[in-house]
Amino acid sequence: MAAKNNYVPHHVMVVDTNRCIGCWTCAVACKEVNNEPLGYFWNRVLTTAPNQSTTAKAPASDNLDVPWGTYPNCELAYLPVACQQCNDAPCVKVCPVQATFRRDDGTVLIDYNRCIGCRYCMAACPYGVRIFNWGDATYAPGGVVGYGKEYSTGGRLVFTPERPKGVVEKCTFCVERIDVGELPFCVEACPMGARIFGDLNDPESQVSEFVNNGGAEQLHPELGTNPNVYYLPVARRVPGES
Amino acid sequence: MSKFSRRSFLGGSAAVVGGLAVADHLRFLEPSTGDLARDEEFLTGKEVVYRTGHSNNCDGACGHLVHVTDGRVTMIGPAAFGTTTIAGKPAPTFHPRICLRGLSQISNTYSPDRIKYPYKRIGERGSGKWQRISWDEATTLIATKFKEIQDKYGKTAVWVAPYTGSLALIEGVIGAGFRFASVIGASAGDSEGDNEGDSATPAGWNYVLVDPTNPANAGGFFTGHESVDFMSAKTIVFWANNVAETSLPDWRIMCDARDQNGTRLISVDPRFTVTCAQSDEFVPIRPGADTALIDGIIHQIFKNDTFDTDYIRANTVGPYLIDPRDGKWLRANKVIPGAKDDYVVFDESDGKIKAASDPTLKTPAVLGTHAVAGLKARTALQALKDMTAKYTATYTEKLTDVPAAQVISLGRIWGASKPLAVRVGFGLSHWYHGDLHMQALLTLQAITGNIGVHGGGVTTFAGGMAATFAPFALGDFWAPKGTTLYTLLEPMNFCDAVEKGVPFPVKAAWFPIDNFAQQMSDRNRVVAAMKQLEFIVVSDYSLTATADLADVILPACTYIEKTDLLSSNNFYLQYLPKIIDPLFESKSDLDAIRMIADKMGVGQYFTETPEEFLKQIMHLGQPDADPSVQGLTWERLTTEAVHLNTDPMPYVPFFNQQYPTKSGKIEFYVEMLLPYDQELCDHKEPIEASPTNPLYGKYPLVFLSTHTKFRTHSQFVNLPWLKEINNGGDGFLEINPRDAAPRGIGDGDVVRVFNDRGQMKVRARLTESMKPGVVNCYQGGWDTIRVKHYIEGHPNNLTHQIAKPAQSLIPNFPSNAAYYDVLVQVEPSGV
Repeated sequence: MAAKNNYVPHHVMVVDTNRCIGCWTCAVACKEVNNEPLGYFWNRVLTTAPNQSTTAKAPASDNLDVPWGTYPNCELAYLPVACQQCNDAPCVKVCPVQATFRRDDGTVLIDYNRCIGCRYCMAACPYGVRIFNWGDATYAPGGVVGYGKEYSTGGRLVFTPERPKGVVEKCTFCVERIDVGELPFCVEACPMGARIFGDLNDPESQVSEFVNNGGAEQLHPELGTNPNVYYLPVARRVPGES
Repeated sequence: MSKFSRRSFLGGSAAVVGGLAVADHLRFLEPSTGDLARDEEFLTGKEVVYRTGHSNNCDGACGHLVHVTDGRVTMIGPAAFGTTTIAGKPAPTFHPRICLRGLSQISNTYSPDRIKYPYKRIGERGSGKWQRISWDEATTLIATKFKEIQDKYGKTAVWVAPYTGSLALIEGVIGAGFRFASVIGASAGDSEGDNEGDSATPAGWNYVLVDPTNPANAGGFFTGHESVDFMSAKTIVFWANNVAETSLPDWRIMCDARDQNGTRLISVDPRFTVTCAQSDEFVPIRPGADTALIDGIIHQIFKNDTFDTDYIRANTVGPYLIDPRDGKWLRANKVIPGAKDDYVVFDESDGKIKAASDPTLKTPAVLGTHAVAGLKARTALQALKDMTAKYTATYTEKLTDVPAAQVISLGRIWGASKPLAVRVGFGLSHWYHGDLHMQALLTLQAITGNIGVHGGGVTTFAGGMAATFAPFALGDFWAPKGTTLYTLLEPMNFCDAVEKGVPFPVKAAWFPIDNFAQQMSDRNRVVAAMKQLEFIVVSDYSLTATADLADVILPACTYIEKTDLLSSNNFYLQYLPKIIDPLFESKSDLDAIRMIADKMGVGQYFTETPEEFLKQIMHLGQPDADPSVQGLTWERLTTEAVHLNTDPMPYVPFFNQQYPTKSGKIEFYVEMLLPYDQELCDHKEPIEASPTNPLYGKYPLVFLSTHTKFRTHSQFVNLPWLKEINNGGDGFLEINPRDAAPRGIGDGDVVRVFNDRGQMKVRARLTESMKPGVVNCYQGGWDTIRVKHYIEGHPNNLTHQIAKPAQSLIPNFPSNAAYYDVLVQVEPSGV
């Protein structure tokens, strides 16, 4: 359970795009801990212009790692995107069977016993971070990897060792890990320390510092989804300044 | 544990293993069997977590926590290094580290592509026809053939070539393969460098900082700053080093320096890489023009008068006078009556010529031309100043394509920002004149007082190679008492040995963890030479291009299946326990060697267990153990990562400003290079990839083959988790639209890349990251009988083995594969 002794944390993740090098370690970590089949990603790393600016010339081709601009004046950054764990989530609003729900700590989860696979939530999500398990999966390596057990919260089944057919899935903030005081695995695995996870209700926490004073921003704040995932912008020093 | 009843699971059929279609079941050596079948049950057993180190050919040397349930690995995650204090003081922070490749190691160990059994060839070499045999049969065959060939052609006709597929102590590139070679009197490949094109910059490092003729220097060595030392730098220059992609765990330290200390990051590279994108300044240099740019910066240092006079005077040969007649050092006993053999200087305090060790010497001049015994002798620094006089900003721009304003700005920064650290990648060593580029960098760092100081230096190999091998008595391990060390045959000399019998004939070879037939430069020549061998043994866990050519294949273990020790440039010793039993019939290299050694009558040298070998090699618990491991217990070694540097300050080579050179100083003027016209770092054009080369008219594009984050050389290549992110595993040629358009090449078109040595075909990827005139195809992808990551051929078909004579001065780094010093043409393939 998220709440201990009636204290409910407000779980928030901050991604530092000034440090993200687009290595996809977080995406592979997510794949491993959640035992995702080939072709399924709960977490992807997009190649972008820094701060998604549109002033530089578009990339020469639509491939990973291809920069914006014209050599030698190029620009390149990365944006890891998974479920934004919205406080005002469109997916929760549209689910006809209330399978998708927001937990009191801010995590948005899916109850596999309720999900009927209608995929209405996927249409509602403006970030495109939900995937549907069509049933055509192959795994590598063979054998269950990752957390490897079922997990329930509030009586609802929110994680299984293998991916269930016919339901929608997405990032869970590694609910089974955070509930026992561990970090989401992408946070633990990121070799740059570009992911920070913590409690926004704690004014001393690092995430509070980034969200309140550090310029952390949400993706598409104009949509009013109020995500629990924030991004620190790219901020390179201008050459020549000491 | 309840079975999940309402829903079925995805793809849970036991018949489909790891995603391979059943129709393709003969794609590898054996049909996929149920051995790797998916578990029907959930994980129910007790979980055990092991700590280990990742030894697969990467200087990151990450620590892994490996989770095992019911004898099966279920998770790999990053392990902490845990050193919080050193000698009672707080230790620098060293974060846990892992990357997408380490995480994918599960799918490497359990890959259905694993070579599962020993095989012998039954068709033509390279035809891919195999017969499964037993270990007994395989090792008997190997022992018999080795003995036969040694009796017929001489002991050194058998060549053992363990390589960097593993960096661990027993199984890898400094390992038991060399011991085996010694005890059977065979020849063996070197343990560092020229295969990979890593020898040029070490050679250059030795020219300036190490006397290779002094036996105490053991033929030359190489070391660098402990990576956490970069936190002390005010400016860090990444010279041909795409750290954020190729040494990516270390990039965190650079980010920390930037974010916590305001360190400025500058990246010098012909490609706009992720490292360049994250740096504060990108220096878009013409490939191979590095020394010219460095000379241009040195010119600015002299122009601005920002060289460090005190440092030059105290620690370099700057003040020493040069004999104008032959360019050698003026000798005091020849020009000063009564003086001993010594260097000669001009004392500014009294205007007198003196020997360098004259007790009355106060202020040796660092610049000037001085009258000595009727000669006009310049100081070494003056010679450097005169040589760099022509490298004005405008001239430097002409040579390097770096704008003059940027050259001036770099000169200003380099003279004013102290300390300044340089991190050099192997990109710099993949050039014929890589030795010169390093010599030039050390010269620049020497005159700005940046060598042997915290936050300074010129570092490659992610840190201190010599320091991290110090705990190992490798000489005794490689040549046990009563035996002689193997005969060295460098990989770059393999072809001559096979083709011409020079320096001696080679008729058989064993490649443990060495993808020689794919990763060597001038690949077509290498493969042709390999086909002339009478007998080839390959130990590997995947069916590489080298295994394709074998007579006998031995199934090898991954790092999870065998005991070993990793000491890498991050200054930690990491014990590698045997976590699971070897899969199928794979055996560790040590076990394979033991079986063969027994049959060759030298089994007595391999009776020790891996644990016993480790204790032996480190003299563990003995009074003569290296200071870095004095007092280290086996218990501690096997339970936690052990930090080697026992000083709370990060390791800095030459912190005491004592240099193992002839003069005891930094020799940026290199007397022994006079016959090679390289006593100073005057720029020289690349041997092939230069616009001054007549070939340039036919082959006008410089061909790079850099390292990708999705592979580690030719390992992790065929893993689905990595392939599905990386273009399905297919290689591609990065090309600027300004080069593609006139050739009628669109994104995704198949192109032919070719020169006089060979060709390859691959799809084009249009990108502005490439400097026009330069193309890049990431190396390491496979070109085997069954698996092709390039449509046809391989980048190494285009490369060469032209060796630079000057490097022969350094016994341990005598030759180098200049992978990037290559010209090609690219045209649409029409396929």
